[in-house]
Amino acid sequence: MTLSSYKTEDAIIGDLPAPGDRISWRIPFLVRSYGMFLALAGLIVAFAAASPFFATPANIINILNQVAVVGIVAIGMTFVILAAGIDLSVGSMLALTCLISAEVAVQGEPSTATMVLAFVAPVLVGAALGAFNGLFVATGLIAPFVVTLATLVAYRGLAVWYHVNPIYGMPDWYRFLGAARLFGIPYGVIAYVLIIGLASVTMNFTRFGREVYAVGGNEHASRASGINVARVRFSVYVISGLCVGFAALIFNGRTGAGQSYAGEGMELQAIAAVVIGGVSLFGGRGSVSDAVVGTLVMGVLFNGLVLLNVPSPIQNVIIGAILIGAVTLDGLFRRRGE
Amino acid sequence: MGKFIELRNIRVQFPGVLALAGVSLDVGRGEVTALVGQNGAGKSTLVSVLAGLRREYHGDVLIGGERIELRTPRRARECGIALVEQELSLVPELSVAENIFLGRLPKGWIPGFYRRDLLNERAQATLETLAIDLPLGRPVRDLSPAQAQIVEIAKALSKTPKLLIFDEPTSSLTKPEADKLLLLIRRLRAEGTAILYVSHKLTEVLAIADFVAVLRDGRKVAMGPAGQWREEGLIQAIVGRDRSQVRHRSPNKLGEVVLSAKSLSVAGSSTSIDIDLRAGEIVGMAGLIGAGRTELAEALFGLRPARAGTIFVNGRKAKISSPRAALKEGIGLVPEDRRKHGIIAGLTTLRNISLATLPKYCKAQFVARSRERSTVASIARQVGLDVQKLPNLAETLSGGNKQKSIIAKMLLLSPAVLILDEPTRGIDVGAKAEIYELIGKLTEKGTAVLLISSEMTDLLGLCDRILVMREGRLVAEFDGQSANEESLMTAAALDVAPVLAA
Repeated sequence: MTLSSYKTEDAIIGDLPAPGDRISWRIPFLVRSYGMFLALAGLIVAFAAASPFFATPANIINILNQVAVVGIVAIGMTFVILAAGIDLSVGSMLALTCLISAEVAVQGEPSTATMVLAFVAPVLVGAALGAFNGLFVATGLIAPFVVTLATLVAYRGLAVWYHVNPIYGMPDWYRFLGAARLFGIPYGVIAYVLIIGLASVTMNFTRFGREVYAVGGNEHASRASGINVARVRFSVYVISGLCVGFAALIFNGRTGAGQSYAGEGMELQAIAAVVIGGVSLFGGRGSVSDAVVGTLVMGVLFNGLVLLNVPSPIQNVIIGAILIGAVTLDGLFRRRGE
Repeated sequence: MGKFIELRNIRVQFPGVLALAGVSLDVGRGEVTALVGQNGAGKSTLVSVLAGLRREYHGDVLIGGERIELRTPRRARECGIALVEQELSLVPELSVAENIFLGRLPKGWIPGFYRRDLLNERAQATLETLAIDLPLGRPVRDLSPAQAQIVEIAKALSKTPKLLIFDEPTSSLTKPEADKLLLLIRRLRAEGTAILYVSHKLTEVLAIADFVAVLRDGRKVAMGPAGQWREEGLIQAIVGRDRSQVRHRSPNKLGEVVLSAKSLSVAGSSTSIDIDLRAGEIVGMAGLIGAGRTELAEALFGLRPARAGTIFVNGRKAKISSPRAALKEGIGLVPEDRRKHGIIAGLTTLRNISLATLPKYCKAQFVARSRERSTVASIARQVGLDVQKLPNLAETLSGGNKQKSIIAKMLLLSPAVLILDEPTRGIDVGAKAEIYELIGKLTEKGTAVLLISSEMTDLLGLCDRILVMREGRLVAEFDGQSANEESLMTAAALDVAPVLAA
């Protein structure tokens, strides 16, 4: 009998709450549930005190505008990570969808058909690229990390192959998501907020959302409960691709140029945002709002540090430190929970 | 030859249970002392005390008349006690020699390196004392289970133990391999090693042991020279003479055959199995650990592919390729491994219970939460789960409540067949009784129940029919009214032919 089998009795005892556990729980519960939210509030207060330019309406909108693209990508990533997966290919997918959409948008005189196609094509292509990831992940034969590492390289290769030179000259009707405003609020921000709402509703109120949590929490128990695990895993990658395709529209609108190196390193930003927000990389724990808070923490940090003239390398060190801190906390809470 | 170790009044307390209630036991040099008893009798707990794996115990351990404190594996090792672990604390990628001396590799001249020549020399010497030839450089993953078991023994022997403990050493071995192992144990005994041999297999025990000690409910109920025991007497001592506590249920009214498996063959076993379950019937399944009962349950539920055979549900041929398919056919499983197949720790209890029946509460993909909540609350009341606990994460539940929530999840499906695999393992007495009462009630609604359990009293109290599995085969069938523990134990634990010509 292995060592562990002698410990089964201890494991059973471990199921019972030990006296005294309850007291030590009470304090971190607040921190655990709202920790990053409190941190975000603290950051905002601190930067507002440190810089007169921070807490202005223009700057706040600026921050939101800046985080919209990575924020939408992070929402898709949240679905994937909650299902205990990872999607490293989002940056490369962004480049491909940006180029395809730009290519359509700059085709001569705009007809209604091209206009619709310019907006629909990147979303569909994104979904297809995500579906390709999802197919391989759903087989269960290859780890998600490896599948999407491969497509991170391959999709980027496709993008450069497809269009090595930037595509300029995007018409104004096409750029509105990145450049225009409604009552002073950029359309990109409005779109971000709508997507947050849609994603929250999906995760909290639909059967699919339940199944994502279940599969991410315990694949075996989900299968034993009759859930189609492969389909759930496939679907989250399609959603990630959809989000990237939509983010590409905002990205193009903002930059005004379709570029094959667009979105380099975006996978790391998106994963960092999701994890800093408190979504567990092990899957099954966390929420869409966690990812949003994580995205905002990163956006506020970058913006505030720029306003305070902190050099960019140091900004990166700080973000890295926060990432480690967030994941350590997650590990601590997980251990407590078990 | 004299005593090597004396245990005096050893007690181990678990919350709510006295796992060992004052056991005294001597193990002599050059003797094989066997320890037998049912699951939960305290054998493993006693072994864990001796191996230093248990920090908290009461009572005295004496070696050479001197009182010693075990309590850490290191201390036990220093006292000359070695445990041959079953199934395998070996590192598959490392070689035989490296595994034998893992953690004690001879240091080389350059820091961080070890002396392969010295290592091989020592490993060879160890294997020679066993009179066994194994390729020293071969990775353990390439060995047969029996060879791997021998590496375990060599590992234990390389520490030159004075007491060697075997815990179910033959459960993963074939007959000839087991025979070889027993020969080996005899040789060690002849060299003066004290041996404690824990096993369920009584034929084997009687063939190898000098003394047999019987544990029951944390107490030593009998002890004597092996020659004095006969199998029937041993079985009687193991199960206890007092059978008045076994209360037979009144038999159910049986309906049609709901589930029928014909020549079902499960991966890992070469034989095929036929089973019929009738509506309203509770069929028990007895057998030792490793007899293939869980594999059978998982095959019926689609968790494990069946190699061959056909399953009929209500007379129709059913293709059970996944749990999804099984659930659609009305077959539910309360799994043996609650952590892996049962509970999703990070979901609330409510969501765990409703997981398998989500479509029922959904309108156009949206979960109607109020309907979900009321349905789950009512089933929770039925299984005796506190409704207040429903919003809590499943990981915060006690073992009994976890099990109740898994059962509730399955009941919501109103299955035609419910398979329960060791549903009361590790669960306190109160919850156990509640779960058995639930199982009894199920059949009133015409559910067919397949109850796998190692607790024979419980099987006897509940089942209309009891099947016994041994080594992947169905070896016996008993009527629930006329079966008794002796007959079950005999079928489960005794080979027809003697293990070893003594």
